[in-house]
Amino acid sequence: MATGHSSNISSDMPDHRKRNTFTSYVAPMVGDIRVTADTNEWCLPSDLRDVHLAKPRLLSGEQIVASAPAYMYSPIAPMEESSNSSSSGGGGGGGSSSSTFTGGGNSNNSYNTNSSNGNNSNNGSRSTYKDSTFGLLSVTNFKLAFVPLHARSTLSTVASDLYQENAYLGRNEITLNNIDQIYTIAEQGRAASALQAARMASSRRKKLEPAKQHNINGRIVALHIICANFRLLKFAFQQQDSKLSDYGKLIASALARFAYPMRHDLSFAYAYREPYYSTLTGVSMYASKNDWARELIRCGATEWQVISASSVPQLQNRLQSCKYQLPPHFVIPKCCDVERFLQLSLAFCDSRAAFWVYSYGSGAASLVRLAELQPASQQDTKMENIMLELVRKCDERKQLKLLQLTDELPSTQDVQRAYQKLRRLCTPESPEKFMMQDDKYLGLLEKTNWLFYVSLCLRNASEAAATLRANITCVLQESNGRDLCCVISSLTQLLLDPHFRTIDGFQSLVQKDWVALEHPFQRRLGHVYVSRGGTEQAPDSEQSPVFLLYLDCVWQLLQQFPDEFEFSQTYLTTLWDACFMPIFDTFQFDSQAQRTRAVNEGRLVLRPVWDWGEQFSDKDKMFFSNPLYQRQRGDLGTAQNYRRSLAVGQSKMSQLPTQVQALGQSSPSRYTINPQLFATQSTVPQDRYLQPRHRIIDLAVWDQCYYRWLPVLDIRGGGQPQVDLFHRLLLSNIAKMQRCIELQSLEELPDAFYEAIGETRPKQQQEEPVEYVDGVERRRKSLPTTASGGGSSANGLAVVNGGPLQLSTLSSFFPFGSPIAGDAPHELYDILLSSSTELLLDTSSFLDKSSIV
Amino acid sequence: MDATSSLADKLASKTASSNSLDSSSKSSSLGSKQGAENGVLRDTPFAYLDGEEDQDQKNDVTYVCPYRGPVFGALTITNYRLYFRSLPLRDQEPPVVIDVPLGVIARVEKIGGATSRGENSYGIEIFCKDMRNLRFAHKQQNHSRRTVFEKLQWNAFPLSYTGKLFAFTHGAVSASWDGWSVYEPLAELRRLGVPNDMWRATKLNESYAICDSYPAVWAVPKAASDDILRRVAQFRSRCRLPVLSWMNPRTQATITRCSQPLVGVSGKRNADDEAYLSYIMEANAQSDKLTIMDARPSANAIANKAKGGGYESEDAYKNVEINFLDIHNIHVMRESLRKVKEACYPTTDDSKFQSVIDSTLWLKHLCCVLAGAVRIVDKVETMSTSVVVHCSDGWDRTAQLTALSMLLLDPYYRTVRGFEVLIEKEWLSFGHKFQQRIGHGDNKHSDADRSPVFLQFIDCVWQVSWQFKNAFEFNEYFLITIVDHLYSCRFGTFLCNTEAERVTDDLKHKTTSLWTHINSSLDQYLNPLFPASSDRAELVLRPIASTRIIRLWKGLYCRWNPGLCTPQHGCQRTRELLSKQDQLFKHVNDLRLKLINRIGNTQTTTRLASPMR
Repeated sequence: MATGHSSNISSDMPDHRKRNTFTSYVAPMVGDIRVTADTNEWCLPSDLRDVHLAKPRLLSGEQIVASAPAYMYSPIAPMEESSNSSSSGGGGGGGSSSSTFTGGGNSNNSYNTNSSNGNNSNNGSRSTYKDSTFGLLSVTNFKLAFVPLHARSTLSTVASDLYQENAYLGRNEITLNNIDQIYTIAEQGRAASALQAARMASSRRKKLEPAKQHNINGRIVALHIICANFRLLKFAFQQQDSKLSDYGKLIASALARFAYPMRHDLSFAYAYREPYYSTLTGVSMYASKNDWARELIRCGATEWQVISASSVPQLQNRLQSCKYQLPPHFVIPKCCDVERFLQLSLAFCDSRAAFWVYSYGSGAASLVRLAELQPASQQDTKMENIMLELVRKCDERKQLKLLQLTDELPSTQDVQRAYQKLRRLCTPESPEKFMMQDDKYLGLLEKTNWLFYVSLCLRNASEAAATLRANITCVLQESNGRDLCCVISSLTQLLLDPHFRTIDGFQSLVQKDWVALEHPFQRRLGHVYVSRGGTEQAPDSEQSPVFLLYLDCVWQLLQQFPDEFEFSQTYLTTLWDACFMPIFDTFQFDSQAQRTRAVNEGRLVLRPVWDWGEQFSDKDKMFFSNPLYQRQRGDLGTAQNYRRSLAVGQSKMSQLPTQVQALGQSSPSRYTINPQLFATQSTVPQDRYLQPRHRIIDLAVWDQCYYRWLPVLDIRGGGQPQVDLFHRLLLSNIAKMQRCIELQSLEELPDAFYEAIGETRPKQQQEEPVEYVDGVERRRKSLPTTASGGGSSANGLAVVNGGPLQLSTLSSFFPFGSPIAGDAPHELYDILLSSSTELLLDTSSFLDKSSIV
Repeated sequence: MDATSSLADKLASKTASSNSLDSSSKSSSLGSKQGAENGVLRDTPFAYLDGEEDQDQKNDVTYVCPYRGPVFGALTITNYRLYFRSLPLRDQEPPVVIDVPLGVIARVEKIGGATSRGENSYGIEIFCKDMRNLRFAHKQQNHSRRTVFEKLQWNAFPLSYTGKLFAFTHGAVSASWDGWSVYEPLAELRRLGVPNDMWRATKLNESYAICDSYPAVWAVPKAASDDILRRVAQFRSRCRLPVLSWMNPRTQATITRCSQPLVGVSGKRNADDEAYLSYIMEANAQSDKLTIMDARPSANAIANKAKGGGYESEDAYKNVEINFLDIHNIHVMRESLRKVKEACYPTTDDSKFQSVIDSTLWLKHLCCVLAGAVRIVDKVETMSTSVVVHCSDGWDRTAQLTALSMLLLDPYYRTVRGFEVLIEKEWLSFGHKFQQRIGHGDNKHSDADRSPVFLQFIDCVWQVSWQFKNAFEFNEYFLITIVDHLYSCRFGTFLCNTEAERVTDDLKHKTTSLWTHINSSLDQYLNPLFPASSDRAELVLRPIASTRIIRLWKGLYCRWNPGLCTPQHGCQRTRELLSKQDQLFKHVNDLRLKLINRIGNTQTTTRLASPMR
């Protein structure tokens, strides 16, 4: 076994490339670090000293709990421990200290399985092809952080340019919240045969049960950490002679303690006390009565009333209120007084009697959420009938359709099982596993049922939307009305209402249907570890990524209607990641009451996740918008007033039609909006509904979110990002030229213009150097391209490729995925900066004008 | 249609079905629209092509549509096509139109007899090469189907009945640009930098005497004399010796193609062949190795020794490494595609669709071919090593691999013109046996020589274009058009097996090239995302060959199912933006000229006046 940095570089190509299987996917790229990655197979003694100097960056209130030197492995390193199992049984037990991942004596290249030519299996067996980085692995009360010692490896932080960077997390860091499962790999005993080694390899991988952390037996040579956001992290620990420094065990037990908090107030959210100053505008939080009232007006729902728990005497009484699990504000039929409603609600699970969420159309057909009757009162459906009758009365045509979601949709446990199977498909721990899955991938995918559930959700939402379009009130009923009800209800609104397809609208929708109406995020996302008697199944029973199912559905809609949404898939993926940022409270609680308690008792600082500037810089936020989106021409007038710079209340007010606004002004204060005062009619456009295809054959796997941690699936220079960038550059060109015309100046014409007219951009620098002496700065974004025999319509991407910018190695998961130095240069940002869809809106109006003139 | 589908589904699919059936030419390029320019419009609702003649007409035929049920209408058979149009029942419903070139027909069968009972039980069923079956029901009186059946047999399978293919009847259509001239072997070699110090072009095979399935012009290593070439040809199956396909002009790393060496069980050696391969290796100064990519699974390669074939042993050939790419033979592919057809036509079972597609193994086969191409690219580009590709005869899998890897390596082949050159060169001139693989005008539908090898290549191209959406000048419709006319027999392009046969039959003068047709209405085949300037020239594509990424080409295989054909998204918006940009280009240019004039008048020197050259 080599000691020190082995320095044989790609000259000795590992011959696993010879077989036409997995390895052909990892064909090295030009400029890919992997080509020359002479990985530190075994570290120098000095490295061990240095490693403790590498400290992770800490937030205020963050503390290191444990740290140890470790190797970080890429999710699928082609030379891996389990590969030994299929090896032709070459040199068993070569190196004495061979923890298998170091590629010891028995790691004959297993990629030459018997079908391949036997000649080569002996030549290149000593492959040094490994994707590991040596560094310091630390567990803090917030995150698991790996700080590489050698900056040149792939895993280290190469200048990531335009790739997404989270202000709180580095590329090699994950929040403890994100950790879902931990597998420990025990030290390998001496295997007598290859077969035995194979058996041992599989038995050595054990799931870490936090409740039984004292059961961490034996030495731990490696950890596999599976994250809720489909990331698989693999660490290996160097073996020491002394029992004292079992680094693997040290990290494993720290994780077992801190990654699975038994109470929520152990979460880092409570330790992080930085004050928060909101810059948030445009999102309705549905935390006040007014937000609900405005929504009622917007939808033209006149038969419903907002109730605030604080104004109901019964709910102020401690003894009384504990019987109910009501949100602070809710909307109920006007024909039903509060006392009656409270009385009825006792019959339903979680006291969820009919809550209004949305109305659509001229008849204001309503979308209503309803829980099922309490198990005790299920024999007697009288209460349910009364409730439904009350809802029916609110409908103009006294019609109502009840969708019983429990019969139609998977249970939360089903969703969880599907998610786990899907995640297993997306986090193969070895190349063999990857290949095995790849062999019958579609079949395995089908078995997960994930897309089947997505299809069911889309189908039911389509049905609910069709019901509302037919002017019939639709009641969604589910056991407690807080899980799949949220999915169907918000999807239905997304299908019907273009407002919810804007970023602000979408965020308001999540606030309304998920946060305000209390989807139990804390339980479903497993923020608190619940141990139940230590049985295998029990701890997961409450956990279920219902929200991810919803995001997936939205992603499918985005695929089918790429120009209908203001947000991009990057936004959706980021949203799923954000579920595991404890610093932001949005997805941290089961109910508003719980949140209030946390603020009062735990001195928690509330920080809505929607204030994306807290986590991301402008360049990251830029990729949240969809370059294909166009605000509808019908919205044009209002859209101008609709800028996010306006305060919430103002923007909502300005959106109302003039007659409403006039009435609104007559009301004394904007804090007491009374729907009665408005001669209301729905302001929701009724010709912008979507009819999605929902069969499984029409659906696809959300590759950006699920595959982004698998470099082998990264289509360098391809995929959706290229299309997005193409459109962003196009928008940028249009915006720039428009500005030129408006200002009557030719200062900042895009290069594409010069290409289109078949000229080179005038080289000002050479011709008039005096300009610079005078201090007149002129920005030049890229070098002029060589005069190409002008195509008829240059479309901008050439600007990037012709100049010093190169996008040919950009990740297809961009802005996720692993950066290769310089593949998304910052120069691009300047160009993209002017590519907002809002500028385009101006352009279209400008063009309309100019065509008239 | 499945009974559980909701209201919305029914509504959606209804609109979809009416759309797609309205003009079946939307998803198929065979519609008469393009034919209108050079065709004659008669009283029938389609435009006749030159040379197209009515053969039979029936006014009381029922088309048993698997989606809309039986529809009643009129059937016309010409010497080129089968055309059915339903009689409008209600005003709103668009008529069902079936417009199929007879070349697409693989087999015609009678169903039911004169005494069969039940509605629509007596008629004709037509099995098509493009993944659909058509069923027509006739009146049982007077043997009404007899003439239809006979005319179909005669005109769909002319070669089995001593007739001639429609392409010859259609003749050579004169056009401003002749598609037959798209590929000039010497010009293409010059583009690659041949001849140079190491390679020469030779017309040794001008009379197709040395190898009858090879083109007339070869590029071979300069070091190899004509005698050596002749002797090497003797040691290769069907005399298909290694000849240059592509060269990297920068590194001189090459892709050469050939057939298997005639090693046999005894492991024969041939000094000329060994020397010849070393010349190929030496012609590339960047590498002291030569990689041989044997497309077959190694087991098949070994099995071929028994038939006198085999592969190069690394002992005999110096500095040569051999790799097996695990691509299966034409029979396996044919069977796989047959299963795809079963899964996609006429209806699909949504709940099992994925596992059914999985079990066809079609996607796995695609992965294998793509992975092989990526490995060739990797060798040639990253390692600068020359690669020799062969399978057994070197005209099926070899053509797939060389053409695909060239497509990945050289952006030229990703333009419309370049892709046409690629097909002309790697497929047509190097003797992929289109006649045998497709069976033009031949009624032996179960012929073992038939196989969708070329279709598989087009699918691979589509997969790459799906992964690299802005790397190709052409769009999906271009590929579908090629597939449609692969069968249609309207153009001479895909007729015959070899270049020699094409010269003998004088296709260039007696038929029209598909490329003439395509290039005359180029706009509809262009991908708006493709950058106009060719600055992406450096870009080498490395697609991901994993079944997680490779997907079923629904636009091709499922296009007859109105519920499944997916509309093309995004492009409309892109075109809008592009035209907006062009409009602005004009505006800005006007403004610029105005400013320049003003400046010129006032004699002010300012930087606004860009130098006009």
